[in-house]
Amino acid sequence: MKKQLGFYVDAKLCIGCFTCAMACKNQYHQVNGVVWREVYPLKEEIYPHRERAFYSLACNHCEHPECLEVCPVNAYTKREKDGVVVHHQEKCIGCGNCIRSCPYGAPRYNPVEKRAEKCSMCWQRLDAGLDPACVKSCPTRALRIIDLATFDDPNAVQFPPGFPRMPGLNPSTRFRQPELPLIVRREDV
Amino acid sequence: MIPSMELPLVGFTVLSQTAVGLTLVYALQGALQGADASGAGEASQRTKWLAAAGILALGLLVSLTHLGHPEGAPRAVTHLSTAWLSREALLFGLLAGLMAVTALLGAGRGLALLTALAGLAGLFVQGMVYSPPSFPAIANALPFAFFLLTAVILGAGTAVWFVAEGRRTLLRHILVGALSAGLLLFLVAPCVWLSGGTVMRMTAEAYLASPFYWAHIVFGLALPLAVVLGTRRIPSWLPVLLLAGALCGRIVFYLDTVHTAVNIGGLY
Repeated sequence: MKKQLGFYVDAKLCIGCFTCAMACKNQYHQVNGVVWREVYPLKEEIYPHRERAFYSLACNHCEHPECLEVCPVNAYTKREKDGVVVHHQEKCIGCGNCIRSCPYGAPRYNPVEKRAEKCSMCWQRLDAGLDPACVKSCPTRALRIIDLATFDDPNAVQFPPGFPRMPGLNPSTRFRQPELPLIVRREDV
Repeated sequence: MIPSMELPLVGFTVLSQTAVGLTLVYALQGALQGADASGAGEASQRTKWLAAAGILALGLLVSLTHLGHPEGAPRAVTHLSTAWLSREALLFGLLAGLMAVTALLGAGRGLALLTALAGLAGLFVQGMVYSPPSFPAIANALPFAFFLLTAVILGAGTAVWFVAEGRRTLLRHILVGALSAGLLLFLVAPCVWLSGGTVMRMTAEAYLASPFYWAHIVFGLALPLAVVLGTRRIPSWLPVLLLAGALCGRIVFYLDTVHTAVNIGGLY
């Protein structure tokens, strides 16, 4: 398998602190209302506990990216060397087709530039041998970069509950699911 | 993704489908009744086809207002290999040209049929543009069915302005059939979605709670059907009602079809 970088989201370790989202914002200074990484709380139907669990999500850098396929002006490319999906904003005409078509809501509309934009997995940092800003900032190491060509974790899942199942796109993000805390009751002791 | 009425796209799709509907009606009328047969008060073939081309050109112009950078619109045809939007832009551009040629050269039966087939292909491509996997309720053949019905309803309705009174029986039959099919499809689709996954169900609930949805059902489909069946004719004001209904239906299509990203973190 060719090298394909992806995010590893460890929902067991994630504490929902939003540092990853803030680090992304600090790195790229997106305009108000535009975020490339979002921290989604899991709803009670998936994580039935008063404590919360989270998925930190950005672009999934899919094997078959819908954004790339539907873009009428070839504004998206997928890098041969690591599978990162890059949006070339200067080519974008702001038709919004990628925004409508990505099932994960990764591309966002920039109302100032009047063009789409999305997570680039900090490819410039990757090329310099650094981790993306979100990964570097995570205080619990709940967010990591993995290479699917060598990644082999039997506990990792591609489509956990709460994440749209799109096998045709083959998103590169992998998850470790959260676990409910062990509750010890007086009568159990 | 923030839900929006997408008014430029509403305008473009409804106008382009009206134009395609007119070409379908003209081609069918030409094949069944002869293109040159025209009664008193009937517009010339050139006027009919130029009107259709004009409606499509207006639609294309409206579609430009949807773009963040309209000056880049010509580049929208550069990704024909996989992007349905590129194919849509190319096909509708060609269709506008074909309609103009048909109008200027005289609507021969072959040319009219070719234009109608290009229009049908345009509707299919348009249906593919609006059925991405991100909208589970319409990631299927429904957009094409919706668009085809809109085209036939608005085509047969608008053609009343260009066809003589004595030759409207065919239009009436087409309109009654399309309105009945439309009423059935637009009422049944949300009921089917109610039995689907979470996002499909959310779409159905949004449609059924929308005043635009019910305005489309009542003013765009049921009332026109009752008028045509009751009076056995197509009044000249009916196309306005049909158009208003179709615009409401298209607004609900863009505004209330729920995107998968809305429910991340919840069950699908």
